[in-house]
Amino acid sequence: MISVHNLKKEFGKNKVLKGIDFELEEGERVVILGPSGSGKSTFLRCINRMEEPTSGKISFNGTEITDKNIGKMRQEIGMVFQHFNLINNLTVMENLILAPVILKIMDQPAAEKRARELLKHIDLSNKENAYPASLSGGQKQRVAIIRAMMLSPKILLFDEPTSALDPESIGDVLSLIRELANNGMTIMIVTHEMNFAKEIATRIVFIDQGKIIEEGKPSEFFAHPKTPRVKEFLDKVL
Amino acid sequence: MNDFFQKLGELFTTPAYVESLWHGFLLTMQISFFAIIIGLIIGTIVALIDTAKPNKWLIVPKFISRVYTTVIRGTPMALQLFIMFFAIFAIRGFPQIITAILAFGLNSGAYTAEVIRSGIQSVDKGQTEAGLALGLSQYTIFKRIVAPQAIKNIIPALGNEIITVIKETAIVSMVGMYDLNQAAKDIGSGQNMSSYLVPMFVAALFYLAVVYFITFIIKRIEKGLRKSDLRS
Ligand SMILES: Nc1ncnc2c1ncn2[C@@H]1O[C@H](COP(=O)(O)OP(=O)(O)OP(=O)(O)O)[C@@H](O)[C@H]1O
Ligand SMILES: [Mg+2]
Repeated sequence: MISVHNLKKEFGKNKVLKGIDFELEEGERVVILGPSGSGKSTFLRCINRMEEPTSGKISFNGTEITDKNIGKMRQEIGMVFQHFNLINNLTVMENLILAPVILKIMDQPAAEKRARELLKHIDLSNKENAYPASLSGGQKQRVAIIRAMMLSPKILLFDEPTSALDPESIGDVLSLIRELANNGMTIMIVTHEMNFAKEIATRIVFIDQGKIIEEGKPSEFFAHPKTPRVKEFLDKVL
Repeated sequence: MNDFFQKLGELFTTPAYVESLWHGFLLTMQISFFAIIIGLIIGTIVALIDTAKPNKWLIVPKFISRVYTTVIRGTPMALQLFIMFFAIFAIRGFPQIITAILAFGLNSGAYTAEVIRSGIQSVDKGQTEAGLALGLSQYTIFKRIVAPQAIKNIIPALGNEIITVIKETAIVSMVGMYDLNQAAKDIGSGQNMSSYLVPMFVAALFYLAVVYFITFIIKRIEKGLRKSDLRS
Protein backbone atom coordinates (compact mmCIF):
# COMPACT_ATOMS: atom_id res chain seq x y z
CA MET A 1 0.00 0.00 0.00
CA ILE A 2 2.79 2.36 0.97
CA SER A 3 6.02 2.29 -0.90
CA VAL A 4 8.94 4.43 0.23
CA HIS A 5 11.95 4.78 -2.00
CA ASN A 6 15.26 6.31 -0.89
CA LEU A 7 13.58 8.79 1.45
CA LYS A 8 15.86 11.50 2.77
CA LYS A 9 15.01 14.31 5.14
CA GLU A 10 17.29 17.07 6.31
CA PHE A 11 16.57 19.88 8.73
CA GLY A 12 19.12 22.41 7.59
CA LYS A 13 22.45 20.65 8.02
CA ASN A 14 20.96 17.96 10.23
CA LYS A 15 20.53 14.81 8.10
CA VAL A 16 17.75 13.00 9.89
CA LEU A 17 16.65 10.36 7.36
CA LYS A 18 19.45 9.03 5.23
CA GLY A 19 17.79 6.91 2.59
CA ILE A 20 14.86 4.81 3.73
CA ASP A 21 13.38 2.07 1.58
CA PHE A 22 10.22 0.55 2.88
CA GLU A 23 7.14 -1.32 1.70
CA LEU A 24 3.89 -1.69 3.59
CA GLU A 25 1.31 -4.29 2.57
CA GLU A 26 -2.38 -4.20 3.36
CA GLY A 27 -3.17 -5.65 6.77
CA GLU A 28 0.37 -5.31 8.04
CA ARG A 29 1.07 -3.88 11.46
CA VAL A 30 4.52 -2.42 11.52
CA VAL A 31 6.05 -1.32 14.81
CA ILE A 32 8.89 1.14 14.45
CA LEU A 33 11.53 0.97 17.14
CA GLY A 34 14.73 2.89 17.61
CA PRO A 35 16.59 5.15 19.98
CA SER A 36 15.47 8.69 20.70
CA GLY A 37 16.32 11.08 17.90
CA SER A 38 16.86 8.30 15.36
CA GLY A 39 14.17 9.73 13.05
CA LYS A 40 11.13 7.54 13.82
CA SER A 41 8.71 10.44 14.07
CA THR A 42 10.22 12.14 11.08
CA PHE A 43 9.79 8.97 9.03
CA LEU A 44 6.15 8.65 10.01
CA ARG A 45 5.53 12.35 9.40
CA CYS A 46 7.07 12.20 5.94
CA ILE A 47 4.56 9.53 4.94
CA ASN A 48 1.59 11.88 5.33
CA ARG A 49 3.74 14.85 4.46
CA MET A 50 3.55 16.60 7.80
CA GLU A 51 7.23 16.96 6.94
CA GLU A 52 8.21 17.55 3.36
CA PRO A 53 10.82 15.00 2.28
CA THR A 54 14.12 16.46 1.08
CA SER A 55 14.29 13.76 -1.58
CA GLY A 56 12.94 10.33 -2.39
CA LYS A 57 9.57 9.02 -3.38
CA ILE A 58 6.58 7.90 -1.35
CA SER A 59 3.61 6.27 -3.05
CA PHE A 60 0.22 5.13 -1.86
CA ASN A 61 -1.33 2.30 -3.88
CA GLY A 62 0.92 3.14 -6.78
CA THR A 63 0.24 6.90 -6.79
CA GLU A 64 3.06 9.15 -5.75
CA ILE A 65 2.13 11.36 -2.79
CA THR A 66 2.70 15.00 -3.74
CA ASP A 67 1.70 18.46 -2.56
CA LYS A 68 -1.12 18.37 -5.10
CA ASN A 69 -2.87 15.21 -3.91
CA ILE A 70 -1.89 15.35 -0.25
CA GLY A 71 -5.35 16.43 0.92
CA LYS A 72 -6.97 13.32 -0.57
CA MET A 73 -4.08 11.15 0.60
CA ARG A 74 -4.48 12.29 4.18
CA GLN A 75 -8.06 11.04 4.14
CA GLU A 76 -6.66 7.58 3.35
CA ILE A 77 -3.75 7.81 5.78
CA GLY A 78 -4.91 8.78 9.26
CA MET A 79 -2.59 9.93 12.00
CA VAL A 80 -2.73 9.81 15.78
CA PHE A 81 -0.36 12.02 17.75
CA GLN A 82 1.44 11.68 21.04
CA HIS A 83 -0.28 14.78 22.39
CA PHE A 84 -3.73 13.89 20.97
CA ASN A 85 -4.21 17.28 19.34
CA LEU A 86 -7.94 17.44 19.79
CA ILE A 87 -9.17 20.82 18.58
CA ASN A 88 -9.51 22.86 21.78
CA ASN A 89 -12.24 25.18 20.61
CA LEU A 90 -14.50 22.37 19.43
CA THR A 91 -16.53 19.88 21.44
CA VAL A 92 -15.88 16.17 21.17
CA MET A 93 -18.71 15.83 18.65
CA GLU A 94 -17.46 18.79 16.63
CA ASN A 95 -13.97 17.31 16.61
CA LEU A 96 -15.34 14.09 15.21
CA ILE A 97 -17.55 15.51 12.48
CA LEU A 98 -15.44 18.50 11.40
CA ALA A 99 -13.39 16.81 8.69
CA PRO A 100 -15.96 14.37 7.27
CA VAL A 101 -18.54 17.16 6.92
CA ILE A 102 -16.18 19.80 5.50
CA LEU A 103 -14.64 17.28 3.11
CA LYS A 104 -18.17 16.23 2.11
CA ILE A 105 -17.54 12.60 2.90
CA MET A 106 -20.75 12.50 4.92
CA ASP A 107 -23.54 14.96 5.53
CA GLN A 108 -23.87 16.25 9.07
CA PRO A 109 -26.62 13.90 10.32
CA ALA A 110 -24.78 10.86 8.96
CA ALA A 111 -21.50 12.06 10.49
CA GLU A 112 -23.19 12.64 13.85
CA LYS A 113 -24.75 9.21 13.75
CA ARG A 114 -21.41 7.59 13.01
CA ALA A 115 -19.71 9.70 15.70
CA ARG A 116 -22.28 8.60 18.28
CA GLU A 117 -21.75 4.94 17.40
CA LEU A 118 -18.01 5.30 17.82
CA LEU A 119 -18.36 7.27 21.05
CA LYS A 120 -20.66 4.62 22.43
CA HIS A 121 -18.12 2.02 21.45
CA ILE A 122 -15.40 3.67 23.50
CA ASP A 123 -17.81 4.36 26.37
CA LEU A 124 -17.68 8.13 26.05
CA SER A 125 -21.22 8.84 24.90
CA ASN A 126 -21.66 11.19 27.84
CA LYS A 127 -18.75 13.36 26.63
CA GLU A 128 -20.33 14.21 23.31
CA ASN A 129 -20.72 17.88 24.16
CA ALA A 130 -17.68 18.22 26.38
CA TYR A 131 -14.67 20.28 25.37
CA PRO A 132 -11.27 18.56 25.22
CA ALA A 133 -10.06 20.48 28.30
CA SER A 134 -12.48 18.48 30.42
CA LEU A 135 -11.26 15.04 29.27
CA SER A 136 -8.49 12.92 30.78
CA GLY A 137 -5.49 12.07 28.62
CA GLY A 138 -6.73 8.57 27.93
CA GLN A 139 -10.15 9.87 26.95
CA LYS A 140 -8.60 12.46 24.65
CA GLN A 141 -6.47 9.88 22.90
CA ARG A 142 -9.38 7.51 22.38
CA VAL A 143 -11.42 10.35 20.92
CA ALA A 144 -8.44 11.24 18.70
CA ILE A 145 -8.34 7.66 17.44
CA ILE A 146 -12.01 7.53 16.57
CA ARG A 147 -11.69 10.98 15.01
CA ALA A 148 -9.14 9.49 12.64
CA MET A 149 -11.48 6.56 12.05
CA MET A 150 -14.31 8.89 11.03
CA LEU A 151 -12.66 9.26 7.63
CA SER A 152 -12.39 5.45 7.23
CA PRO A 153 -8.68 5.62 6.44
CA LYS A 154 -6.89 2.67 4.86
CA ILE A 155 -3.86 3.13 7.07
CA LEU A 156 -3.37 4.57 10.54
CA LEU A 157 -0.09 6.09 11.67
CA PHE A 158 0.50 6.26 15.42
CA ASP A 159 3.39 8.28 16.87
CA GLU A 160 3.88 7.19 20.47
CA PRO A 161 0.15 7.25 21.20
CA THR A 162 0.57 6.32 24.86
CA SER A 163 3.75 8.20 25.80
CA ALA A 164 1.89 11.14 27.29
CA LEU A 165 -0.52 9.01 29.31
CA ASP A 166 -0.68 7.83 32.89
CA PRO A 167 -0.25 4.06 33.30
CA GLU A 168 -3.94 3.52 33.89
CA SER A 169 -5.08 5.11 30.63
CA ILE A 170 -2.38 3.39 28.60
CA GLY A 171 -4.28 0.12 28.81
CA ASP A 172 -7.50 1.67 27.48
CA VAL A 173 -5.75 3.21 24.49
CA LEU A 174 -3.80 0.06 23.71
CA SER A 175 -7.01 -1.99 23.85
CA LEU A 176 -8.58 0.28 21.28
CA ILE A 177 -5.58 0.02 18.98
CA ARG A 178 -5.56 -3.76 19.48
CA GLU A 179 -9.18 -3.88 18.48
CA LEU A 180 -8.49 -1.92 15.28
CA ALA A 181 -5.67 -4.33 14.55
CA ASN A 182 -7.93 -7.33 15.05
CA ASN A 183 -10.38 -5.78 12.60
CA GLY A 184 -7.72 -5.82 9.94
CA MET A 185 -6.56 -2.19 10.05
CA THR A 186 -3.21 -1.51 8.44
CA ILE A 187 -1.07 0.16 11.07
CA MET A 188 2.32 1.80 11.48
CA ILE A 189 3.14 2.64 15.05
CA VAL A 190 6.06 4.10 16.95
CA THR A 191 5.88 2.92 20.54
CA HIS A 192 8.00 2.20 23.56
CA GLU A 193 5.54 -0.39 24.84
CA MET A 194 7.63 -3.47 24.06
CA ASN A 195 5.07 -6.02 25.15
CA PHE A 196 2.44 -4.40 23.03
CA ALA A 197 4.88 -4.27 20.11
CA LYS A 198 5.54 -7.99 20.41
CA GLU A 199 1.86 -8.75 20.64
CA ILE A 200 0.53 -6.59 17.86
CA ALA A 201 3.30 -6.36 15.25
CA THR A 202 3.43 -8.40 12.12
CA ARG A 203 6.81 -6.80 11.48
CA ILE A 204 9.31 -4.76 13.50
CA VAL A 205 11.38 -2.08 11.84
CA PHE A 206 14.40 -0.76 13.69
CA ILE A 207 15.67 2.70 12.79
CA ASP A 208 19.03 4.00 13.92
CA GLN A 209 20.56 7.29 12.83
CA GLY A 210 18.13 7.77 10.00
CA LYS A 211 18.39 4.30 8.49
CA ILE A 212 16.49 1.05 8.82
CA ILE A 213 19.19 -1.22 10.15
CA GLU A 214 17.11 -4.29 10.89
CA GLU A 215 13.60 -5.57 10.32
CA GLY A 216 11.75 -8.80 10.77
CA LYS A 217 8.98 -10.75 12.40
CA PRO A 218 8.65 -9.90 16.12
CA SER A 219 9.46 -13.46 17.22
CA GLU A 220 12.71 -13.36 15.26
CA PHE A 221 13.52 -9.76 16.04
CA PHE A 222 13.24 -10.03 19.80
CA ALA A 223 14.70 -13.52 20.18
CA HIS A 224 17.53 -13.33 17.67
CA PRO A 225 18.55 -9.76 16.90
CA LYS A 226 21.08 -9.75 14.08
CA THR A 227 22.97 -6.53 14.73
CA PRO A 228 24.85 -5.53 17.88
CA ARG A 229 23.04 -2.19 17.87
CA VAL A 230 19.65 -3.87 18.19
CA LYS A 231 20.97 -6.29 20.81
CA GLU A 232 22.21 -3.38 22.86
CA PHE A 233 18.88 -1.57 22.45
CA LEU A 234 16.85 -4.61 23.47
CA ASP A 235 19.08 -5.26 26.47
CA LYS A 236 18.27 -1.78 27.68
CA VAL A 237 14.51 -1.76 27.09
CA LEU A 238 13.48 -5.33 27.89
CA MET B 1 -10.47 72.42 49.06
CA ASN B 2 -13.45 74.76 49.16
CA ASP B 3 -11.96 76.53 46.24
CA PHE B 4 -11.74 73.25 44.36
CA PHE B 5 -15.44 72.51 44.69
CA GLN B 6 -16.36 76.06 43.94
CA LYS B 7 -14.32 75.90 40.72
CA LEU B 8 -15.85 72.54 39.91
CA GLY B 9 -19.28 74.11 40.24
CA GLU B 10 -18.20 77.04 38.09
CA LEU B 11 -16.96 74.71 35.38
CA PHE B 12 -20.16 72.73 35.15
CA THR B 13 -22.44 75.75 35.32
CA THR B 14 -20.67 77.68 32.59
CA PRO B 15 -22.16 76.41 29.29
CA ALA B 16 -19.13 77.53 27.28
CA TYR B 17 -16.81 75.39 29.41
CA VAL B 18 -19.07 72.36 29.30
CA GLU B 19 -19.38 72.75 25.56
CA SER B 20 -15.61 73.01 25.16
CA LEU B 21 -15.03 69.87 27.16
CA TRP B 22 -17.73 68.04 25.25
CA HIS B 23 -16.28 69.06 21.87
CA GLY B 24 -12.81 68.10 23.02
CA PHE B 25 -14.12 64.77 24.21
CA LEU B 26 -15.87 64.13 20.89
CA LEU B 27 -12.73 64.93 18.91
CA THR B 28 -10.68 62.60 21.10
CA MET B 29 -13.24 59.85 20.59
CA GLN B 30 -13.48 60.40 16.83
CA ILE B 31 -9.74 60.28 16.30
CA SER B 32 -9.43 57.24 18.58
CA PHE B 33 -12.31 55.35 17.04
CA PHE B 34 -11.22 55.67 13.44
CA ALA B 35 -7.55 55.22 14.29
CA ILE B 36 -8.38 51.96 16.06
CA ILE B 37 -10.39 50.73 13.06
CA ILE B 38 -7.54 51.57 10.68
CA GLY B 39 -5.09 50.00 13.11
CA LEU B 40 -7.15 46.83 13.19
CA ILE B 41 -7.29 46.60 9.42
CA ILE B 42 -3.58 47.27 8.93
CA GLY B 43 -2.67 45.13 11.91
CA THR B 44 -4.66 42.14 10.65
CA ILE B 45 -3.17 42.35 7.18
CA VAL B 46 0.39 42.74 8.46
CA ALA B 47 -0.05 39.91 10.98
CA LEU B 48 -1.42 37.57 8.31
CA ILE B 49 1.49 38.39 6.02
CA ASP B 50 3.92 37.91 8.89
CA THR B 51 2.59 34.54 9.97
CA ALA B 52 1.95 33.11 6.49
CA LYS B 53 4.23 30.34 5.31
CA PRO B 54 7.05 31.97 3.32
CA ASN B 55 6.84 31.75 -0.44
CA LYS B 56 8.18 33.80 -3.31
CA TRP B 57 5.10 36.03 -3.59
CA LEU B 58 5.42 37.02 0.04
CA ILE B 59 9.08 38.03 0.10
CA VAL B 60 8.36 41.70 -0.66
CA PRO B 61 5.20 42.00 1.50
CA LYS B 62 6.99 40.31 4.39
CA PHE B 63 9.88 42.74 4.03
CA ILE B 64 7.60 45.76 3.88
CA SER B 65 5.64 44.69 6.95
CA ARG B 66 8.88 44.09 8.84
CA VAL B 67 10.16 47.58 7.97
CA TYR B 68 6.81 49.12 8.82
CA THR B 69 6.53 47.62 12.29
CA THR B 70 10.19 48.31 13.06
CA VAL B 71 10.01 51.98 12.06
CA ILE B 72 6.69 52.67 13.79
CA ARG B 73 7.65 50.90 16.98
CA GLY B 74 11.11 52.37 16.99
CA THR B 75 10.18 56.05 16.76
CA PRO B 76 8.19 58.34 19.07
CA MET B 77 4.51 58.77 18.36
CA ALA B 78 4.85 62.54 18.68
CA LEU B 79 7.48 62.56 15.94
CA GLN B 80 5.25 60.45 13.70
CA LEU B 81 2.44 62.91 14.30
CA PHE B 82 4.68 65.87 13.41
CA ILE B 83 5.88 64.18 10.25
CA MET B 84 2.29 63.59 9.17
CA PHE B 85 1.24 67.16 10.00
CA PHE B 86 4.24 69.18 8.89
CA ALA B 87 5.68 67.04 6.10
CA ILE B 88 3.36 64.52 4.48
CA PHE B 89 0.00 66.28 4.88
CA ALA B 90 1.32 69.83 5.08
CA ILE B 91 -1.38 70.81 2.59
CA ARG B 92 -3.39 73.94 3.28
CA GLY B 93 -6.97 73.13 4.04
CA PHE B 94 -6.40 69.40 4.43
CA PRO B 95 -8.66 68.35 7.33
CA GLN B 96 -6.55 68.03 10.47
CA ILE B 97 -8.73 65.30 11.86
CA ILE B 98 -7.97 63.04 8.91
CA THR B 99 -4.25 63.62 9.27
CA ALA B 100 -4.51 62.77 12.95
CA ILE B 101 -6.58 59.65 12.30
CA LEU B 102 -4.07 58.44 9.74
CA ALA B 103 -1.13 59.13 12.03
CA PHE B 104 -2.64 57.24 14.95
CA GLY B 105 -4.06 54.53 12.72
CA LEU B 106 -0.69 53.85 11.13
CA ASN B 107 0.91 53.83 14.55
CA SER B 108 -1.68 51.55 16.09
CA GLY B 109 -1.48 49.19 13.10
CA ALA B 110 2.09 48.25 13.98
CA TYR B 111 1.23 47.44 17.57
CA THR B 112 -2.00 45.68 16.64
CA ALA B 113 -0.04 43.59 14.13
CA GLU B 114 2.24 42.44 16.95
CA VAL B 115 -0.74 41.63 19.15
CA ILE B 116 -2.43 39.59 16.42
CA ARG B 117 0.80 37.94 15.28
CA SER B 118 1.68 36.73 18.75
CA GLY B 119 -1.94 35.64 19.27
CA ILE B 120 -1.78 33.49 16.15
CA GLN B 121 1.64 32.11 17.00
CA SER B 122 0.62 31.20 20.51
CA VAL B 123 -1.84 28.62 19.17
CA ASP B 124 -0.28 25.19 19.65
CA LYS B 125 1.22 23.82 16.42
CA GLY B 126 -0.45 20.51 17.20
CA GLN B 127 -3.79 22.13 16.46
CA THR B 128 -2.75 22.91 12.90
CA GLU B 129 -1.18 19.48 12.51
CA ALA B 130 -4.40 17.80 13.59
CA GLY B 131 -6.25 19.72 10.89
CA LEU B 132 -3.66 18.84 8.28
CA ALA B 133 -3.70 15.18 9.23
CA LEU B 134 -7.46 15.19 8.73
CA GLY B 135 -7.01 16.44 5.18
CA LEU B 136 -8.30 19.97 5.83
CA SER B 137 -7.01 22.91 3.79
CA GLN B 138 -4.84 25.64 5.28
CA TYR B 139 -7.73 28.05 4.86
CA THR B 140 -10.19 25.83 6.71
CA ILE B 141 -7.66 25.20 9.45
CA PHE B 142 -7.13 28.91 9.91
CA LYS B 143 -10.82 29.72 9.91
CA ARG B 144 -12.12 26.90 12.07
CA ILE B 145 -9.19 26.09 14.33
CA VAL B 146 -6.43 28.70 14.55
CA ALA B 147 -8.38 31.97 14.34
CA PRO B 148 -10.97 31.11 17.02
CA GLN B 149 -8.19 30.13 19.42
CA ALA B 150 -6.00 33.07 18.50
CA ILE B 151 -8.82 35.53 19.19
CA LYS B 152 -8.92 34.40 22.79
CA ASN B 153 -5.28 35.38 23.16
CA ILE B 154 -5.69 38.56 21.16
CA ILE B 155 -8.69 40.21 22.83
CA PRO B 156 -7.08 41.19 26.16
CA ALA B 157 -3.96 42.63 24.51
CA LEU B 158 -6.10 44.37 21.94
CA GLY B 159 -8.02 46.00 24.78
CA ASN B 160 -4.75 47.43 26.06
CA GLU B 161 -3.88 48.74 22.63
CA ILE B 162 -7.26 50.45 22.29
CA ILE B 163 -6.79 52.13 25.66
CA THR B 164 -3.29 53.20 24.70
CA VAL B 165 -4.53 54.85 21.51
CA ILE B 166 -7.25 56.78 23.33
CA LYS B 167 -4.78 58.13 25.86
CA GLU B 168 -2.07 58.82 23.31
CA THR B 169 -4.35 60.96 21.14
CA ALA B 170 -3.91 63.63 23.85
CA ILE B 171 -0.73 64.69 22.02
CA VAL B 172 -2.79 66.15 19.14
CA SER B 173 -3.00 69.23 21.33
CA MET B 174 0.68 69.67 20.38
CA VAL B 175 -0.33 70.34 16.77
CA GLY B 176 -3.10 72.67 17.85
CA MET B 177 -6.10 70.36 17.70
CA TYR B 178 -8.89 70.91 20.19
CA ASP B 179 -9.21 67.54 21.85
CA LEU B 180 -10.21 66.75 25.42
CA ASN B 181 -6.71 67.48 26.70
CA GLN B 182 -6.53 70.80 24.88
CA ALA B 183 -10.03 71.76 26.07
CA ALA B 184 -8.94 71.27 29.67
CA LYS B 185 -5.87 73.41 29.09
CA ASP B 186 -7.91 76.08 27.37
CA ILE B 187 -10.54 76.26 30.12
CA GLY B 188 -7.83 76.51 32.73
CA SER B 189 -5.96 79.30 30.99
CA GLY B 190 -5.73 82.92 32.15
CA GLN B 191 -8.55 84.40 30.08
CA ASN B 192 -10.94 81.70 31.38
CA MET B 193 -10.87 80.06 34.83
CA SER B 194 -7.18 80.83 35.37
CA SER B 195 -6.79 77.56 37.26
CA TYR B 196 -5.68 74.35 35.60
CA LEU B 197 -6.35 71.86 38.37
CA VAL B 198 -10.12 71.56 38.08
CA PRO B 199 -10.52 71.31 34.27
CA MET B 200 -7.65 68.86 34.07
CA PHE B 201 -9.12 66.83 36.88
CA VAL B 202 -12.41 66.69 34.99
CA ALA B 203 -10.64 65.74 31.74
CA ALA B 204 -8.89 62.95 33.63
CA LEU B 205 -12.28 61.69 34.78
CA PHE B 206 -13.49 61.63 31.17
CA TYR B 207 -10.48 59.57 30.08
CA LEU B 208 -10.88 57.27 33.08
CA ALA B 209 -14.54 56.71 32.37
CA VAL B 210 -13.83 55.68 28.79
CA VAL B 211 -10.96 53.41 29.78
CA TYR B 212 -13.07 51.84 32.47
CA PHE B 213 -15.90 51.26 30.03
CA ILE B 214 -13.60 49.59 27.50
CA THR B 215 -12.00 47.42 30.16
CA PHE B 216 -15.48 46.32 31.17
CA ILE B 217 -16.47 45.43 27.59
CA ILE B 218 -13.23 43.50 27.02
CA LYS B 219 -13.75 41.52 30.23
CA ARG B 220 -17.23 40.59 29.08
CA ILE B 221 -15.99 39.43 25.69
CA GLU B 222 -13.19 37.43 27.31
CA LYS B 223 -15.67 35.70 29.55
CA GLY B 224 -17.82 34.78 26.57
CA LEU B 225 -14.83 33.36 24.71
CA ARG B 226 -13.66 31.23 27.60
CA LYS B 227 -16.41 28.67 27.43
CA SER B 228 -14.23 25.94 25.86
CA ASP B 229 -11.73 26.23 28.73
CA LEU B 230 -14.31 25.40 31.31
CA ARG B 231 -14.91 21.89 32.40
CA SER B 232 -18.39 20.91 31.38
N1 LIG C 1 10.89 20.32 12.81
C1 LIG C 1 12.19 20.04 13.05
N2 LIG C 1 13.14 20.97 12.85
C2 LIG C 1 14.44 20.69 13.07
N3 LIG C 1 14.89 19.51 13.51
C3 LIG C 1 13.99 18.53 13.73
C4 LIG C 1 12.60 18.75 13.52
N4 LIG C 1 11.94 17.61 13.81
C5 LIG C 1 12.88 16.73 14.18
N5 LIG C 1 14.12 17.27 14.14
C6 LIG C 1 15.37 16.58 14.46
O1 LIG C 1 15.39 15.35 13.79
C7 LIG C 1 15.97 14.34 14.59
C8 LIG C 1 15.07 13.16 14.66
O2 LIG C 1 13.87 13.53 15.32
P1 LIG C 1 12.65 12.55 15.47
O3 LIG C 1 11.61 13.30 16.23
O4 LIG C 1 12.26 12.01 14.14
O5 LIG C 1 13.24 11.40 16.37
P2 LIG C 1 12.49 10.20 17.06
O6 LIG C 1 13.17 8.96 16.61
O7 LIG C 1 11.05 10.30 16.85
O8 LIG C 1 12.85 10.46 18.58
P3 LIG C 1 11.96 10.24 19.89
O9 LIG C 1 12.02 8.79 20.25
O10 LIG C 1 12.65 11.08 20.91
O11 LIG C 1 10.57 10.72 19.58
C9 LIG C 1 16.29 14.98 15.92
O12 LIG C 1 17.66 15.30 15.93
C10 LIG C 1 15.46 16.23 15.93
O13 LIG C 1 16.12 17.24 16.64
MG1 LIG D 1 9.37 10.78 18.05
